[in-house]
Amino acid sequence: MPTPRPRTSVLDLDEVKAHTLPNGLRVRLLPERSAPTVSYYTFFQVGSRNEKLGTTGISHLFEHMMFNGAAKYGPKEFDRVLESRGGHSNAYTSNDVTAYYEDFAPEALETVIDLESDRMRSLRLTNDSLEQEREVVKEERRLRTENSIFGLMEEQLEALVFLAHPYRWPVIGWMDDIERITRDDCEAFFRTYYAPDNAAVYVVGDMDPDATLALVARHYSDISPGPRPGPVPQGEPPQRGERRAVVRYPAQAPALLAGWRGPAARSPDSAALDVLQVCLAVGESSRLRRRLVQDEEVAVSVSIGWGWRIDPGVFLAFAELSPRVKSARAEAMLWEEIDRVATKGVTGAEVRRAQALLRSSVLHELATHHGIAHALGQAEALLGDWREAARALEHYAAVGARDVRRVAAEYLDPARRCVVALEPEVKR
Amino acid sequence: MTHPSAPISLPPIHRETLPNGLSVVIAQRPGVPLAAVRLVLRGGSSLDPSRRSGLAHLVALAARRGTRRRTGPEIDLAVESLGAELGAGVDEDATYFGLSAPVEELPRCTDILADVATRPTFPPAEVKRLQRREIAALAHDLDEPSVVADRAMLSAAFGDHPYGHPPEGRVRDLAEARRADVATFHVRHYRPSEAIVVVVGKVDVADVLALVRRRFGGWRGPDGSSPPVRAPAPPTTRVLVVDKPDVTQSQVRIASLGFPRKSPDYIPGIVASALLGGGFTSRLMEAIRVNRGLSYGVRSRFATSASGGVFFVSTFTKVETTAEIVEVALQETARFCEEGPGVEELERTKSYLCGLFPLSLETHDQLAEKLADLALFDLPDDDIRLFRDRVREVGPEECRLAARRYFPLERRVVVAVGPAKA
Repeated sequence: MPTPRPRTSVLDLDEVKAHTLPNGLRVRLLPERSAPTVSYYTFFQVGSRNEKLGTTGISHLFEHMMFNGAAKYGPKEFDRVLESRGGHSNAYTSNDVTAYYEDFAPEALETVIDLESDRMRSLRLTNDSLEQEREVVKEERRLRTENSIFGLMEEQLEALVFLAHPYRWPVIGWMDDIERITRDDCEAFFRTYYAPDNAAVYVVGDMDPDATLALVARHYSDISPGPRPGPVPQGEPPQRGERRAVVRYPAQAPALLAGWRGPAARSPDSAALDVLQVCLAVGESSRLRRRLVQDEEVAVSVSIGWGWRIDPGVFLAFAELSPRVKSARAEAMLWEEIDRVATKGVTGAEVRRAQALLRSSVLHELATHHGIAHALGQAEALLGDWREAARALEHYAAVGARDVRRVAAEYLDPARRCVVALEPEVKR
Repeated sequence: MTHPSAPISLPPIHRETLPNGLSVVIAQRPGVPLAAVRLVLRGGSSLDPSRRSGLAHLVALAARRGTRRRTGPEIDLAVESLGAELGAGVDEDATYFGLSAPVEELPRCTDILADVATRPTFPPAEVKRLQRREIAALAHDLDEPSVVADRAMLSAAFGDHPYGHPPEGRVRDLAEARRADVATFHVRHYRPSEAIVVVVGKVDVADVLALVRRRFGGWRGPDGSSPPVRAPAPPTTRVLVVDKPDVTQSQVRIASLGFPRKSPDYIPGIVASALLGGGFTSRLMEAIRVNRGLSYGVRSRFATSASGGVFFVSTFTKVETTAEIVEVALQETARFCEEGPGVEELERTKSYLCGLFPLSLETHDQLAEKLADLALFDLPDDDIRLFRDRVREVGPEECRLAARRYFPLERRVVVAVGPAKA
């Protein structure tokens, strides 16, 4: 009986039409007509890694400013026009990129192109709108960081893992810097990072790629390219011993967050670390969940976050501990389990389980126009090529048990770990 | 100008009731090679006995901790090795088991799902462990101010009505539940005549039907159905402050009595709520975020259940402006009830709702959820197919009336979680 060839490709990218306008704007279009919707993503190659101390958080604050009016569509117009055409939009800022999207019915395509090109060409930055967005962003920081236990811990952890690299500060920025950012800072930021040669547009869904490309060219071609963005500092010194921080906060139960500096997204080890992540903490039968949650009951949840970034990022482990458990006990078990993988490795069955779960997770991501457009943009921004969006499963399939053991040993070295412990504070 | 208003087309749907009373719904559609399966049992946390809040939730979680053929860890490993996910949970009206699996693994996964839902053994050690875990997890959840606010709102809005307690339960009740409570709940409420199985994906209808018959056809349970939950009464007007002395931001909820899912006010209500607090251009977003910078977010929503519902506004602000945000939200609400919507904003909001709707049906899991809700609430396919036409028909006066009837004007609860001294 012939063995069926493992199906690794999940996304047929032969249909993608890729083009670069003379001003440097990259355009990628994929017709896909299974649902009567279109997703339009604009990726700007800028995030908190491009910031400097004193104006940390400007990428994110600027993302808010993009909704406050441009030359053709004035203040409050962007969402009004879009919603009246049956669309909706949002955006996010990460350490590496700032991405904007619109999801809408095909009839609204030209309106969306008009709206997006208007703000790339002629955003209006006023003091009034800056002051108002500053307050909104401070509320966002209070929500996600100051009054969130995970937010508080994560902020501490990144500052332990990175001494020199801008990944050291949170994407939302330090509160004091948010206060300090000026309109001039925003103007300079816009000229450099929101120029067409620092951006890419992804259109996926029910549309004709040739006609859409012609529309995009018509609306964006008169926008001038910008100056070349400056380099990002890479001089992270080697870590020669564990680094720790304690967060004391009124809480009912302790928690533990650990992190290690991993490789850059482009490294072939990134896929092996994804497999390691699943072996350790995705699903009830993963090693850490079985040991810490089910067998020993020291934790109520354990998760691993391995986020691919342009520069070497963080592999982190987070555990919400049971209320009366000693943090040190849970910590010892965590190190033991990681050490077990680093010295003895994982089984072939564990790798196959991880590959099956990763395949489903990629399929989930690619199940919508929105998800496909995002995957293309993410692949190009982090890996330099949108075609990588279709290759994820090939990379996972190539990972073997030996690779998992090797990356665990190499990156999760005890001498290179950083630990943040939440100590519940009892108020009298 | 064209509007996204064409009727929604659904894939071919096969419906059938097995001799044991189980409703089966199968939708065959193209897309990614995953299948979505949803098993729904009527009766969720509203069936929790008194002083046993969280019991339905515990039963749903405990079911996958062991059957006659498999231990809990064996179930975990089998499901995950196939690249599938199996989840369980409850809301006030139903218990849900959700399975997402590679389409070629559907037979094996369905076998496990049927085993878990219809033949659990509730091993005593596993039930005890789950109780401990759920209690410990609540400690973490209740450290989140938004969770505290949501729970306080539910309780203030519904009082001792069966919708008034949190589906995840309260610590004391979870601690006192016994294994016998769990097993009895299962025997009584997990029965084919009260269950619905929905399968969506690139599947063959005949194959799936044969599979469902094979795995669920032998399931037996007591006949009859649980009595419907009584309609909730409007809340007593009050202000509830939950003291969290150390936070720098207050969580705010304002709630009033809503309507059940099948109410004729459902569509005008959705439109009115979207005008007040949906999307980025709503009245509340404009007043609170855009004009005053008081918050990062504010939204309003009708939560609709089988026997009633709640309307609520949800937001947060720095501690110093807590009173101001409540005042602005109430003023905007009162103004909307008085004036009703303008022509342009009504048209925009209807387009927004109509444009969003197809996005809520895009994945197999989303469609399975919608089809399960139709069956649970006994609604026709037109509820989906004609949604956009019905939204388009809503006029300004209908919106205003829905707002006046349900928005928090007189009988309302205001919940604030933050430092009480502020």
